[in-house]
Amino acid sequence: MAQQDTTLYHLRTVEIFGKPAEVFASGSRVSTLDSSFISTYASGSVADALLARTPVFLKTNGPSGIAVPAFRGTSPTHTAVLWNGLNISQPALGQNDMALLPLSSIGSIAVQHGAAGATYGSGAIGGAVLLNSASRQEPGFGADVMQEVGSFGRYFSSASARYSGQKVSVAFSGYHLAAENDFTFRDYGRIGAPTRRQDQAQVAQHGFTQDLSWQLSPNTRLALHGWYTYANREVPPALGAANTNAEQLDRNLRLMTELNHSSNWGETSVKAAVFNDYLHFTDNSNHSTTDINTYQAQVEQTYTYARRWSLRGGLNLQHFEADVQGYGRQVTEDRASAFLLFRYDPSKRLDLSLNLRQAFVKGYNPTPAPTLGGNWLMLEHKEHKLYLKGNVSGSYRVPTLNERFWQPGGNPDIKPEQGWSFETGLRHRYTLGPVHLDSEVSVYRMLVDNWIQWMPVTSGYWSPRNLQKVRTQGIELSSRASTTLGSWQLAATGAYTYTAAEQVKAYEGNQELNRQLAHVPLHKAQLSTDLSFRAWTLLGHLTHTGFRYTDNSNVSSLPGYTLLNLALQKKFTLGQYPLVASLRSDNVTDRTYTVLENMPMPPRSLAVGLRFVIP
Amino acid sequence: MKKITRFRSYLLSAAFAFGAIALSGCDDETDSPAGEYARNGVFISNEGAFTKSNASVSFYSHDSKLVENESFKKVNAPLVLGDVLQHMVQQGDRLYLVMNNSGKVVATNANTLKAEGEIAGLEAPRYFAALNDDKAYVTEWLGYDPATYLYGNGRVAVVDLKTLTVTKTVTVGVQPEQLVIAGSKLYVANSGGNTVTVINTATDAIETTITVNDGPNSLALDRNNVLWVSSQGIKAYDPVDWSVSEENSTPGSLAKINTGSNAVMSTLTFSRNAPAPGKLTPNPNGDKLYYVFNNKVWVQDVNSSSLPTKPLIDRGTYVPYGFNGLGIEPASGTIYAGKATDYASNGWVVRYNPQSGAAVDSFRVGIAPNGFVFR
Repeated sequence: MAQQDTTLYHLRTVEIFGKPAEVFASGSRVSTLDSSFISTYASGSVADALLARTPVFLKTNGPSGIAVPAFRGTSPTHTAVLWNGLNISQPALGQNDMALLPLSSIGSIAVQHGAAGATYGSGAIGGAVLLNSASRQEPGFGADVMQEVGSFGRYFSSASARYSGQKVSVAFSGYHLAAENDFTFRDYGRIGAPTRRQDQAQVAQHGFTQDLSWQLSPNTRLALHGWYTYANREVPPALGAANTNAEQLDRNLRLMTELNHSSNWGETSVKAAVFNDYLHFTDNSNHSTTDINTYQAQVEQTYTYARRWSLRGGLNLQHFEADVQGYGRQVTEDRASAFLLFRYDPSKRLDLSLNLRQAFVKGYNPTPAPTLGGNWLMLEHKEHKLYLKGNVSGSYRVPTLNERFWQPGGNPDIKPEQGWSFETGLRHRYTLGPVHLDSEVSVYRMLVDNWIQWMPVTSGYWSPRNLQKVRTQGIELSSRASTTLGSWQLAATGAYTYTAAEQVKAYEGNQELNRQLAHVPLHKAQLSTDLSFRAWTLLGHLTHTGFRYTDNSNVSSLPGYTLLNLALQKKFTLGQYPLVASLRSDNVTDRTYTVLENMPMPPRSLAVGLRFVIP
Repeated sequence: MKKITRFRSYLLSAAFAFGAIALSGCDDETDSPAGEYARNGVFISNEGAFTKSNASVSFYSHDSKLVENESFKKVNAPLVLGDVLQHMVQQGDRLYLVMNNSGKVVATNANTLKAEGEIAGLEAPRYFAALNDDKAYVTEWLGYDPATYLYGNGRVAVVDLKTLTVTKTVTVGVQPEQLVIAGSKLYVANSGGNTVTVINTATDAIETTITVNDGPNSLALDRNNVLWVSSQGIKAYDPVDWSVSEENSTPGSLAKINTGSNAVMSTLTFSRNAPAPGKLTPNPNGDKLYYVFNNKVWVQDVNSSSLPTKPLIDRGTYVPYGFNGLGIEPASGTIYAGKATDYASNGWVVRYNPQSGAAVDSFRVGIAPNGFVFR
């Protein structure tokens, strides 16, 4: 996890395009996943990356299952996922399954911790995951082919090709994944606990990406991005529960076009997108389809004055057309939001940001979401730099379509959620020759009002209700050291998070006040190392997830677990081209564990891969 | 790596040792493991959340006034009890636990709770009734069609309790729910239709089918050997707030059946359409029946020819599953109600005075308590 230094984004007018939204996130915690990690774990999903490299907890029900992130003790619906700057959260569920997002389709990932509703819109209560297509490459032709074979019948193949010319650049990539996930486990759901092979966790996934960019003039660029993913997954039952042959088929098509233009008025960006999210869930007694088209447009204008300040104003429009069996009718909805982001660097040692967003949804009145943040180089002594950071953010979440329209139970009177987040931290940077040390400590407190929870109601159905005020607070520590010694490159990162998430007020229903929310680990710690020596690279991750309660009464809990993952790579040259061989092992210590109760996870696995690159 | 793991295991064992001391401190009743539960108390079945396999059994001791949760787990871990504990019945020295979404009935020793075996291969088992130590019956729901949301005819499995195997199945009506044995007859309420099936327990063949009001969901025998049937009527839902529509529903009823002639003697129909009666439970001497209607508990005198006009227990606006389970303590007649808050946090058992209907006390149990077995 490389901490991203917002101060490093010097405000320069020469960088005309793609000024990341993170520039306007002064004083908040943003981490980026380095490209060496993404390329080593290219056969994995965003879920794998978040697990290994961030303190985010992922709820997952098994090797083939859904993996949804929970930032800072919030729920999966409290994470916004943006692709090239547009929110791609599935509107029926209001969340994204990270297991469906392959790393091979993504150029870069940044993770925003904490609320950033003003910058990223609805859902960015606990955090945001920012995915971007691969940016422009060196001129010329390039290609890449990869094949990986792993334990439990896992086969992964991917290929990509790109061409960059003076004016036009084109890139295509595709991948295919098939996994049996037929590992063995003790079935404690049966008398005698027989050893059994998992036979309900098969996965077939494939997908394509396509990126085109055309430099229309020196100041104007047009880009087209296409992303298609397909996943057909068996959903394993819990130990002791009947196998109902549950299967989930997801198809997601995302197309967007982006026009960037630079003039004396600054940078103009116009984005238009159409997304189709299709989900088909079947088991012995269910047969449900969700088919939603989302049309989205976003216009932004960014004006930057010297290196002093930058102002971005914009408007986002969304239109949903939902064909969901559970709604009993077609549902359409329009949403709009207007935002103003301001970054001001009064001196070289201080940067500030002030952001504001107002959302408009028919029938709702979301409160404005402001953000005020700052980052101050407090002390500078020889090679040491000490920064003080702070950030106050508002956030909101418009209820999902299921929460309002699902029959039976959908609640048309449900109120939007609203959150406030406060955080402050210190950051220390030390550089001496090749030695870099970067440490950060932050504390935060977050309050979410009208937290939505599905509850049983008198008629026997479940219905979402605005139940509670939830408070999450915690500490995040991280430190990264890196150096170069001759042909050796060494880096180590240690991180620890403490998360207390409690319901502090209840309007109705159960009164489980001041108890840790279910499935939020109090402690999570990580240690990762990156070593390289000439053509060799070794990546190691040791993560410890502390015990979690499985109910909101804090009676039953699951034990903590520590997992070790290792990946070794060697680069060969084949003719003039590099060939990368890799050997990867997850759960090296063969630890028996579960993330959610009664859902067995895979034992030690091995994977060998070959990757041939034409740079 | 090894060092870290070892250090962690030291740390963990230290933590566990400490936890064990702390636990045994507040749980000093644990003495003879052979008869841990062979004492004056009550087992509580906690349904658990659907698909989570977190059903559990609690035990409340009348002597120590202490409740122990996760009793099955305590005795049998790492064995998992299963998904959705629908019904729990004691027969002889055994306690049978009907695990609805595990498709089985777990047989445990009633004194130790040690799992001794399971009746496997059942489909969505609902309720269990034992004829004697050798034979029992289990209702099963079958044939759900996700397109129409309707079930097909269900069945009754005849079980040999010695071998824990199904020896025969008898097809009955739609969604067979509770079942009661009266003499040599087994009565099965077909809750998805409007019939009660009568099966001869000597031949395990259907003797006759009795027509009652729509949706018979619970059965009870009174002191006169009259079978009472609660029917819920047909319920229609308001598409906006998902409440039951008073206008478009039909009323529920209580029917009395003569177990000699299998004839319906009389039917008492409720005046309101939306609420549905259920959970008929006789008092110790069988002259009164308790039931739940409109999230309140009512008492029916078995000799009365009309329905009661006032509830015995009225908690006003109460949690939707405030009376998820109903039980009567044989010695005192005290009413036990299982209160399910939701399916993500633990429920309560609230005890009520049988005369005044006033709440006496309460204690915390597992997720969604739905039944009681008094020891």
